[in-house]
Amino acid sequence: MPDPLRLSGFVLIAGVLILAALLHLRFGASPLGWHVVWQALTAWSPDDAAHNIVTEMRLPRLYSAMAVGAALGLAGALMQGVTGNPLADPGLLGVNSGAAFFVVAGLLVLPGGTLAMVPWLAFAGAITAAAVVILNSGSTAAPARLILSGVMVGALFSALTTSILLLDQQGLETLRRWLVGSLAFETSGMRRMVLPFLALAAGIAILNIPGLNLYRLGEQSAGLMGLNVRRFRLTSLLAVVLLAGSSVAIAGPIGFVGLVAPHLARLVFGPDFRLLVPASPLIGAVLLVLGDIVARVVVRPLELNTGIVTAIIGAPVFIFLVLQRVK
Amino acid sequence: MSGRYNRLLLGFSALALTGLAVFALTLGSYPLRMADLALLAADDGGDTMAASILADIRLPRILLAVLCGMAMALSGVVLQTLTRNPLAAPGLVGVEAGAGLTVLVAMILWPTGLPVVFYPLAALLGGVAVALVIAGLAWRQGISALRLLLVGVGMTAILAAFSDLLITYGRIERVESALLWLSGSLHRADWSQVRSQALWLLAAGVPVLLLYRQFNLFQLGEAVAGSRGLDTWRFQIVALFFSVMLTASAVANVGTMSFVGLLAPHAARLLVGERQGVLLPLAAMIGAGIVLLGDTVGRTAVAPLQIPAGMVVAIIGAPYVLFLLSRKGGTT
Repeated sequence: MPDPLRLSGFVLIAGVLILAALLHLRFGASPLGWHVVWQALTAWSPDDAAHNIVTEMRLPRLYSAMAVGAALGLAGALMQGVTGNPLADPGLLGVNSGAAFFVVAGLLVLPGGTLAMVPWLAFAGAITAAAVVILNSGSTAAPARLILSGVMVGALFSALTTSILLLDQQGLETLRRWLVGSLAFETSGMRRMVLPFLALAAGIAILNIPGLNLYRLGEQSAGLMGLNVRRFRLTSLLAVVLLAGSSVAIAGPIGFVGLVAPHLARLVFGPDFRLLVPASPLIGAVLLVLGDIVARVVVRPLELNTGIVTAIIGAPVFIFLVLQRVK
Repeated sequence: MSGRYNRLLLGFSALALTGLAVFALTLGSYPLRMADLALLAADDGGDTMAASILADIRLPRILLAVLCGMAMALSGVVLQTLTRNPLAAPGLVGVEAGAGLTVLVAMILWPTGLPVVFYPLAALLGGVAVALVIAGLAWRQGISALRLLLVGVGMTAILAAFSDLLITYGRIERVESALLWLSGSLHRADWSQVRSQALWLLAAGVPVLLLYRQFNLFQLGEAVAGSRGLDTWRFQIVALFFSVMLTASAVANVGTMSFVGLLAPHAARLLVGERQGVLLPLAAMIGAGIVLLGDTVGRTAVAPLQIPAGMVVAIIGAPYVLFLLSRKGGTT
């Protein structure tokens, strides 16, 4: 990547991310001045209430937003690469709902459900949903079929989730916010738990970059050029499952970030996965941090759920893509 | 032969539906036997408790299930015939979500302002608005079914986000009943709802049934239909409006049950093909059967708790649709 134009693209995105992060720290239920944020970060004093708001409440949330956004952005890029379908997104394809259902079912139905089980439950659900959708999508990249299978799987799992919650009113009260995708919970423990999985998935994604580029030529040509298609698809799918499952474990199902981030990355950097794989998670992080700012500021001092904000912003992008790509 | 086969089929399904309804009458936390039903029907005066349970709770609920199932199934057939795509159910293209959202707004934000009788009108408003937006967006020298479906998916996602918004921030006691309703539940069924649903079915369902010749013509393609004297443009608009009316009324009364409008027409098509004169009534009866079955299973399986009928239908219906998709190949 010697091209200075592209390098400046990355610098620009990193700059936007830092700016968004600072805004995220500054705005919220109680808006703080810039100097307070700065002091809290550089010269933190435990007695200052404002400092504690920044470091104890907003900073962990910022980390979660960045981790989830990056995971979803990368998951979307991988899914779009592997399915050859520009409309793929872990939320839209039911992977997030599958993970959410397994988490809810595990926590409420299994005896002795603890938080430590959440990532594993989420991975199990993500694998189940992804397997059903991918098996159903067939080898031809028919966009409608893949999306419709995903929607059906999503509908099935949300119906199951709703049924469980309706039978357990207390569960509904505690989980209804998590279920629409929220970063409002203290999740540093969960974040630490899923970090190794995120790193593993990122490693797989980086190793698969040549494969992703070859795969753009089509399954057959990629195979002829020496790509082990089977292994490539399986490892990519594993990475997607780890990424989507981790993000659900932290923040509940959040949709459309995985759809929008790779497309924005493609607008800036073109179709080369050597650039898309690092750019998509960066842009995903920016999107989710911005979405989270909107979520906390619009109805201050209450807050919206981040998943709702991303859906309201992301779904029109989906419609736009459909109108452009599908004749 | 085919005419007789059709009559037999219709007669048989009507019989089966009636049997299912009568059987459903006996089920519940206050068990009744068939013999009790016969006694009550003969008006022996005996068990007033049982009589009131039947008249006030079970009968309206079962009738409502039947009527709503009919409305949803008919709406599905119409939409699928218009788009010539077997997947174009009201629940998939966003009409149901639009109708649902307006009712949800009425239920949560403005619970006292709008009498329940007007919920179908509010739902109709939302359904028509969404149908127009989606049809407009998907329009490109005629409506492409593929674009329509995918735009519908996106629109459903937006509307679902707004519904989620209301569900997460509404007052919890209103949200719980709204959530039950949203997932397709007949737990509030009473006679006024039955009357309202019956009226809407009369207003929109009967015309659809009577239009079967036009539907048959339309299926031959717009050019042929036009040459046989069918004003296809006006026909499409009228039929679409009836379809939205049917969905909206059902949504307002029992909430969203996305899969009925997909499953019932499909099952009916397997039995009789595309002959609309039989397809429409048969689909209506199958739809009624699906909703009734879903509701009966939902209220008895884990009694005294109730699973909404829509959930039961979705849990059974989604795998079926996945199966359909996997069989169909890449054409849809």
